Amino acid sequence: MKPIYILCVEDEPEVLAAVIRDLAPFEEKFPIESATTVAEARSVVEDVILKRGQLGVVVCDHILPGEDGVSFLVRLQQDARTAPARKILLTAQAGLAATIEAVNRAGLNHYLAKPWQPDELRAVVRRQLTDFVLENEPTVFPYFGVLEDDRLTEKVRRQPLPGDE
Amino acid sequence: MSKAARREWRDLLFMKTKRLLGIVLGLAGFALPFFVQFPGLGFTGHVTLGIFLLAAAFWLFEPVPIYTTSVLVIFLEVLLLSAEGPLFNFAQPPRVPPQMAANPGEFLLPASALLSDTAVFVAKKEGGPEKVAVEKLETVGAQVRVRATGLSTNSAVLTEPAHWTVKEKPTAYRNYFAALADPIIILFLGGCLLADASVKYRLDRALTRMFLKPLGSSPRLIILGLLVATGTLSAFMSNTATTAMMMTVVLPLIASLDRDDPLRIAVVLAIPVGANIGGIATPIGTPPNAIALAALTKAGVSVPFVTWVIMALPIVVVTLLFSWVVLLKLFPARTRALNLDLADEFDRSPRAIGLYVVFGLTALLWFTENQHGISSNIVAFLPVVALPMFGIVGKKEIHALPWDVFWLMAGGISLGTAIKTTGLAEWMVAQVQWSSLSGYGIILGLALLSFALANFLSHTVTVTLLAPIAISVGAVAGQIAGFDLATALIAVAVASSYGMTLPISTPPNAIAMGSGVLETRHLVKAGSVIGLGGMALVLVLAKFYWPLFAR
Repeated sequence: MKPIYILCVEDEPEVLAAVIRDLAPFEEKFPIESATTVAEARSVVEDVILKRGQLGVVVCDHILPGEDGVSFLVRLQQDARTAPARKILLTAQAGLAATIEAVNRAGLNHYLAKPWQPDELRAVVRRQLTDFVLENEPTVFPYFGVLEDDRLTEKVRRQPLPGDE
Repeated sequence: MSKAARREWRDLLFMKTKRLLGIVLGLAGFALPFFVQFPGLGFTGHVTLGIFLLAAAFWLFEPVPIYTTSVLVIFLEVLLLSAEGPLFNFAQPPRVPPQMAANPGEFLLPASALLSDTAVFVAKKEGGPEKVAVEKLETVGAQVRVRATGLSTNSAVLTEPAHWTVKEKPTAYRNYFAALADPIIILFLGGCLLADASVKYRLDRALTRMFLKPLGSSPRLIILGLLVATGTLSAFMSNTATTAMMMTVVLPLIASLDRDDPLRIAVVLAIPVGANIGGIATPIGTPPNAIALAALTKAGVSVPFVTWVIMALPIVVVTLLFSWVVLLKLFPARTRALNLDLADEFDRSPRAIGLYVVFGLTALLWFTENQHGISSNIVAFLPVVALPMFGIVGKKEIHALPWDVFWLMAGGISLGTAIKTTGLAEWMVAQVQWSSLSGYGIILGLALLSFALANFLSHTVTVTLLAPIAISVGAVAGQIAGFDLATALIAVAVASSYGMTLPISTPPNAIAMGSGVLETRHLVKAGSVIGLGGMALVLVLAKFYWPLFAR
């Protein structure tokens, strides 16, 4: 079973450390990778994530050195291998135009403004990971305990009941 | 190449080799009877042997899904063993209508049409040729004049009555397709629909809460409660469905426990163990039970629903208690309290009440079969009619029924029928010196074989392959003391349910492994101890308890 990755893209080291720390509860079942620029993020996606598993959730800042976050998210959406990933923008400064582009062309799933509450970030990531698992994983049993269990349960209960072999 | 990639290649190669082996063995087995003549076995017996060997290889090695093999069995039977199938149809000797002779009731027929001087064979619209009595009056050249009440000018009289297609007595093809709606399948269909409806109205969750709430937060009692709750549900739901439902209950429960608390393992293991054991309790608990009942019915032994329960309940109860002790000993809980937070109350909506009524009525009728005499297969159709009629279930639930499992069972049932009617069963039995074995020894051997196979194979396939052998032995039962057919088949069915040592042994095990909480060694340790303990009980009950029910 291929692992589902969380990718955090943020150029300020303390902020990146804070995000990773807040998402620690998910790390056991969803390995976390990070990057400080879009170029680095792209290579992490290509060389680490897609080689070993799939990209589940991206938590991305907008203002980054070089290419900006929204444009990275758009590229992720356009690549069939990363299109299913859930995209979260975590930013203090994204103008309306960038936000509209993120929604319309990057399939943005959630916009979280900085500064954020750790519980809120976890709740958002939990929701998005659950969405991803429900849509992409054939079996949801490995993910109980850290995602939204009642939604996973409903998925299991709605499927046709097996009759034994 | 990375380690993971190497493992993937190795698995792929193993799968491809296994499947290739299955295809090769299957085709070889199918062809064998066409090249080797087995003395004492008729033509249709040879064909059936080929089908049986093909099916066994395909079921064992799974080059194609097992339900596909089942429908292939039915199709081959229709093509090669039925009167209307191409083999018998194209090979039929020519037929002529009788000509009217001078006097009424008298006909002119080709002389070759006479089998002896007193019979001819007439082709029927359905099924094989039928013998018709005639009285030969005189020979007129190449024809004969006969008197016969059973002939008319519309009859199709065979000109070669000694033709092999007549001797082999093929049956109508509808008899092979009929396996798809065998009364045992109907029994299972009713059970599955009740189970689907129960899940739809969350009856399973309400029952689980009812079982567990009074037990408080003691981990030891909770394990017992989980075993009993899962076992009870599994008695009328499929083992796999019960496991899936109960996993959604227990996995959130253990989330708060320490990663290395053995209680997590005990809780998760209680589910597949309880499900596999609980399925033994009723005919609808798991397909092997139904296959065994179908085989018994075809052999003329009827086992009512309630009789099965009375025979099976002691072993179920004792094994569940044994499992409780084993799980507590192997995985002692580190934490003192486990808080359950189960919210589901019994649904009180009108449709849910309707479900309870239909379910209760069906169960009541099943359990009083000896009093009212209506077969449990007929009773099983009550929920099939009542649940959709009152809107308790709809098309969605009907579409969601496990048709692949019904087909899997039908294939097994029809294979058993063919083995019996073509004489293959008697021939197989005649190959072994059964008289040198004791009846109990044969039952022991079959049960152990069933247990061994079921650890690696689908339980349904295991029983499907062994039931004809047990039935065959039963055909010569009169000569073997201590052999009771019902005991033998129930032992085979129950033993198969105890095959739970490996993750691949049964879908509930696979689901439990998929949770990520268990390691293989945990499952193997518990599964083997409980399975072997259960088998010991099977051997005891087969000797002392089950034969009491023989008629």
